[in-house]
Amino acid sequence: MGSVLKLRGIRHRRGGREVLQIDGLDVAAGERLAVLGPNGAGKTTLLRLMAGLEAPSAGTVELDGTRTVHADAELRRRIGYATQRAGLLSTSVQRNVELPLRWRGVGREARRTAALEALRRLGVEHLADRPAPALSGGEAQRVSLARALALEPRLLLLDEPAAGLDAEARRSFLDDLAALLADRSITVVHVSHRPDEALRLADRVAVLVEGAVRQLAEPPHVLREPSDATVARLVGYENVVRGRIAVDGQILLAGHPCGLRSDRPPGEVTVAAWATAVRLGPPKDGSLEATVEQVAAGPGRWEVVLAGDEALRAHLPLSEPPPAAGDRRSVSLDPALATLLAG
Amino acid sequence: MDAVHEVLARSALVSLTATAIALLLGVPLGTWLALSRLRGRRLLATFVNTGMAVPTVVVGLLVALLLWRSGPLGNLELIYTLRGMIVAQVLIATPLIAGITMAGLQALPPELPDQLRALGAGRSQLIVRLWLEARVPLLAAAMAGFGHAVSEVGAATIVGGNIHGQTQVMTTSIVEQVGRGEFGEALVYAGVLLALAFAINALLTSVQQRAASWARS
Repeated sequence: MGSVLKLRGIRHRRGGREVLQIDGLDVAAGERLAVLGPNGAGKTTLLRLMAGLEAPSAGTVELDGTRTVHADAELRRRIGYATQRAGLLSTSVQRNVELPLRWRGVGREARRTAALEALRRLGVEHLADRPAPALSGGEAQRVSLARALALEPRLLLLDEPAAGLDAEARRSFLDDLAALLADRSITVVHVSHRPDEALRLADRVAVLVEGAVRQLAEPPHVLREPSDATVARLVGYENVVRGRIAVDGQILLAGHPCGLRSDRPPGEVTVAAWATAVRLGPPKDGSLEATVEQVAAGPGRWEVVLAGDEALRAHLPLSEPPPAAGDRRSVSLDPALATLLAG
Repeated sequence: MDAVHEVLARSALVSLTATAIALLLGVPLGTWLALSRLRGRRLLATFVNTGMAVPTVVVGLLVALLLWRSGPLGNLELIYTLRGMIVAQVLIATPLIAGITMAGLQALPPELPDQLRALGAGRSQLIVRLWLEARVPLLAAAMAGFGHAVSEVGAATIVGGNIHGQTQVMTTSIVEQVGRGEFGEALVYAGVLLALAFAINALLTSVQQRAASWARS
């Protein structure tokens, strides 16, 4: 399948500092690419370059083989762009959705139909006649997305579209967004700093750190084999700790075996483990031990903070009695839920 | 003495014409000042803001010097004419309209122009949409421009000369009557002038507030 979007040799400077360095990045037709990165990683800048709103200091961004730099309105009209802030105009919801269609020369009846259909798909058709400034944050984001989708764009750019929504509104918004994208063949680039959001909607994930792509792979691969400690933390590993591979292949944390093994040569290693990988037991001689520092009830689990040989976080089933603060416990890691990082 | 209605009509003609021309000049200038990133924009914005505070009598003096028979634009024969008075009032109202337009557009969300471009707006579509978004301050600019033009007396006196039947307007007429001690007549003219200002501003305010309350509803 051909590439809709091609980035080559991108170098972008701002305020005397290089904020993006991407040697090459292709997005295939119909692909959904998530760009995951912390705040300030250059995600929004990357989307602005893709949208042709900003020219890279060096390199090229091509949409269907045409450079987006200094793109005319005609090229930009193949792109739908939903930003962090809904950016709705002070007119009715329906007119907000219709306006970009009017700019594309769509006739009155066709744009009315397309606008109402897009609003219906996002579950906000009943708001069509309401003034956009009177909408709640969640409603406004849905209308903003409906406006982008109504264009049937060749490329849809989503800049943290669920930012600013409360947990319930975010969950519901993402459910609907996932369903909408699933039955369409739109090419999507979606940026987020939240791993759950990025991984859920993506065919591939590009992890962007300090303006550079650290890892580019399918979500399960990034989750199972993050390329380094920064990527591991970004995708949500609660525990990223330094350890050592012993001569017998055991992984030692703070000098004690932790239940993991490796066939790599002896030496330093970084271990990434989900909080659900941490198992607690009664103290034993020679085992890795920790003191329970905090215990809190979380969604469907006990969230435990451990201090001691290694500072770790553990998630324990709610069905089990929680440890008490101050308890001394032995600690081991479930190999199925932990991984060794390169370097 | 000219009949009140004749002077009133002349005042309305001069001030509304001047306001219309000042809108045609001031709104694009204010828009450019709000959106441009070119060098010199700040300096020009400072000039515009200064222009908002220049006494009308000083504007009148400068325009009179330009339009005087022996002045650089004397061959246009605009001194002591309604057209000359319109020129002076345009110079008075334009900085005010440009300044308020600039402030109104700069008060919009800073990301809005890029969002509109990303949605496919061409240059003129973008500007028209920004004006519509800033319609409340833009109407305030029109009201301020008209208010400034219709109420000023310094430039009207110097450039128009307060010639009965030709260039006398409400404000210059009031000054003349007060000078003659005819306070009753002056109060009648003042009342009519206030009524004119009220009628125009009531119309514009109605449009402005309807727009504002709709967006809040």
